[in-house]
Amino acid sequence: MGRQVAITSAGFSEHASKRSDVSMPELVNEAIEDCLTKVPSVELDDIDAFVNGNMPAFEGSNLPELWMTDWMGARNKPLMRITTGGTTGGSVAIGGYYTVTAELPGIDTVLAVAFEQQSQGDTSVGLASVAYGEISILNSLGISYGQLNRLLSGGAAIGVAAYQATNYMSKSKITEEDLARVVVQNRRNAAKTWWAHLKMPDLTIEDVLDTPYIQYPLRYGMVCPASDGAVAMLFTTEEKAKDMCDIPVYVNGVASVANETAVLGYDGSGSAQVDPSAQIGAMKSAELAYSQAGISFPRKEIDYAEVYAPFPNQELMWDEKLGLFEETTAPEMYETGVTARDGELPVNCSGGVNSTNAIGASAMERPAVAALQIMGKASNQVPKTVHTSIGSGWGGSLNFITLMVMSDEPKRKWK
Amino acid sequence: MDKVGIVGYNQVKLYSDANYGRYEMIFEAVRGALDNAGLKKKDITTVISATNDYYDGRTISNCFTVEVGGGYLADESKVEMDGAHAMLYGLMRILSGNHKLAVVWGGSMPSCYPYHSARLYETDPTWERPNAYVNDVTASGFQMRAYMDKYDIGAEYIANIAVKNRKNAAKNPLALEEAQNSNITVDEVLNSDAYSDPVTELMVAQPCDGVAAVLLAPERQALKITDKPVWISGVGWNQDTYYIGERDLSTCTSMELAAKQAYDMANINDAKNDIDVAELHEAYAHEEMIFTECLGLAEKGEARKLNTSIGGDLPINPSGGAMGGKPPCATGLIRVIEAVKQIRGEAGDYQVDGVNRAVATGQIGMCAQNNIVWVLEGGGE
Amino acid sequence: MTEKVIEKNKGLVKADFAFWVGLYMDKFYDGFEQKKIMANKCPECGSVFVPPRKICGKCRIKLPIDENWIELGDKGKLINFTRTAYKVSDRRARKSKSLKDYGMVQIEGSDTAIVYPLIDFEENDLKMGTEVKIQWKENPSGGPSDIEGFVKL
Repeated sequence: MGRQVAITSAGFSEHASKRSDVSMPELVNEAIEDCLTKVPSVELDDIDAFVNGNMPAFEGSNLPELWMTDWMGARNKPLMRITTGGTTGGSVAIGGYYTVTAELPGIDTVLAVAFEQQSQGDTSVGLASVAYGEISILNSLGISYGQLNRLLSGGAAIGVAAYQATNYMSKSKITEEDLARVVVQNRRNAAKTWWAHLKMPDLTIEDVLDTPYIQYPLRYGMVCPASDGAVAMLFTTEEKAKDMCDIPVYVNGVASVANETAVLGYDGSGSAQVDPSAQIGAMKSAELAYSQAGISFPRKEIDYAEVYAPFPNQELMWDEKLGLFEETTAPEMYETGVTARDGELPVNCSGGVNSTNAIGASAMERPAVAALQIMGKASNQVPKTVHTSIGSGWGGSLNFITLMVMSDEPKRKWK
Repeated sequence: MDKVGIVGYNQVKLYSDANYGRYEMIFEAVRGALDNAGLKKKDITTVISATNDYYDGRTISNCFTVEVGGGYLADESKVEMDGAHAMLYGLMRILSGNHKLAVVWGGSMPSCYPYHSARLYETDPTWERPNAYVNDVTASGFQMRAYMDKYDIGAEYIANIAVKNRKNAAKNPLALEEAQNSNITVDEVLNSDAYSDPVTELMVAQPCDGVAAVLLAPERQALKITDKPVWISGVGWNQDTYYIGERDLSTCTSMELAAKQAYDMANINDAKNDIDVAELHEAYAHEEMIFTECLGLAEKGEARKLNTSIGGDLPINPSGGAMGGKPPCATGLIRVIEAVKQIRGEAGDYQVDGVNRAVATGQIGMCAQNNIVWVLEGGGE
Repeated sequence: MTEKVIEKNKGLVKADFAFWVGLYMDKFYDGFEQKKIMANKCPECGSVFVPPRKICGKCRIKLPIDENWIELGDKGKLINFTRTAYKVSDRRARKSKSLKDYGMVQIEGSDTAIVYPLIDFEENDLKMGTEVKIQWKENPSGGPSDIEGFVKL
């Protein structure tokens, strides 16, 4: 049951804080165009089905896939929409995989697209409801809204991430400098990625530490930007993939697991978690996806990783939770250059979410870049040959993790 | 396609103002489906939900349903469409071999949000939305007129569908109370207030609160779980172009293409004879006629001649259909559940005799822009 | 059973949105300022689009931004109509007492139809095929409400 799936291409739109030159469907169309240029034998007509997703509340358009049908080339074609908040892109990519692997008659080649045009709305307002947890339950717990605002969260994603950061820092005993180092690596990498948003080729740790705090320990210079952008990925069967490109990238493991509860304070949602850096969902996702892919030693078997992390502390934390490094050792890996472009295990050579964050697209840009690194077509290509790579996504309130494991060899060879 | 069975189902009673929490409703639906199949939370490996951020009035609407929907530490995702589309993703996950039991649930509470305004957010914000001349209300009027005009059909035929469905709903204990009416007449429907002319208020499926859930399992597991699995023998889904001014609203191309895809998969050549009962997600009475034709159950323009009552040639919506209550994100899934009930002989007062193969549909968008068609079969193995 | 009363929610989250229309719609709305309808045409199937767009959905090809533009007149014919009392806006939907007519009109020379109110229509004017003309706002500002509606020719 379930056939082998391959990725044959991935494409991006130009990302920026404002893409006022395009409407939302035109933005999506740009990414599709870039995706299909890389596979000359494939035309829009050859796509059998589409998967689409973004974070709808951020730009004020409900079910925008209906409106952008023609811009995707999806008129009179099967289309499914998947949205899961911050992980939307990852979930859409996983949806693309499942659409192909299900082996439904006539559905071989699937185009998955994810996007966000955040300049159209107010992302922080949209996120407030997530950060605060299940607001309607608060009254019954005797907590007033004002109290919540003062005590628990500085607002939106950064509010909850700050708590996660302090939790992680107390475990790993790292300093703010370690956080800044991650940012420097990302922004310098972004400078070499054509579609990235925050390009800072000369950024230094001092520069980052010179910026003011938003909420301790996160400084202005450490947080992701809000971007407009789109990404597209092409999934197809093993047989068809060989005709489309030189190095098909096989999808060998996927997972999207959450450990989230509706009630604040019960190891649950938003800013009230007991330890938001515990990440049981991430570990379970990794366990599932690696076992599907036949990976027993992630630290040895994975050559490249794109880890979804808007904030530097998260990149360190998830590197560990996804099994790339031992617990609390990630900061050291950044210091010694293991994660650099020419390192042993390069991480986020695209600059990551820390440099470019079109929310709905971000979690798909991770597997997209990780796949291109295997193909040797990435914008900031690593010098070594990449055989196996991963791309993750983060969403929900804090604990929803998507993961895709890709390789240049199909799954069956390992079994 | 490998065989996948529907092994359990549950739907909560529909209310126009449910007066209990959204999460309790989801829990009731999902827990009921597990009980229906004799399974436990730990048996779930994947959960697919269908909700909508605008309908729920919050960003990432699936984020707080993880526990109540059975998704805690399970591999989960959300399809932001009709519940019937979520089942498509559930099917794919089972077919992948990665999962042995999928929970699919969908639903929302329109008593908590302005339904038409949320639907307005679906329109092109750079062209139609600022004026709001195109919205779900006016679109229904254009659609019904296009159909009537094309085939020269009087409004009384369409009112007739509303009468049939509202009478059927009266036999369905889970249907919306406001929609149940065993004495309704064609005149009453025609003389009710104008909704969007020629559509009248009683021709409209009323949005209401509700959640539904089904369980899917591969053949081997399905046969262990239940004596009466219902097999998925075909599925098709398709999307039309967006602007209603560019579509032929007298028909529904996406429904035709989805039906073709599903019938090819299920080896159906003569839908009219091969299908015993149909449960359609008709947002308005006229959509039932359009869909009946697009599904090949009647020739174009001839749906009015078909006897679709419970004892008729081809019963359509014996449960009352969406007219018996239309909880957004659940309606299509309820159609699937009703088809399953018919095949298993569990439909009570509205049971159709001798059902072995049924069709169920779901839709989203203005004038049913995106449709999904399911072909379901009984037979034990 | 006594009814439980929950403290009234005083907090309200409001989010406002503004949408980029893109270069194609930009040109379209620039035309509105001069009371002109700018359409674009697919070189392959010949379809003429109002409003103009980057992609022909039927042929699945790109229509370049500086080619295939056509200026259309303000006449058209009614191809569908409806009458409703519902008023739908971003914030709420309500039902007023008076009914309003809306028409789907195909502008002469185009292959698409647009929806606007029908102004001063008598009951028996509401027929498929009725010839109509755009009624422009006196001082158009380059937005979708520059067209007030359609009047009978």
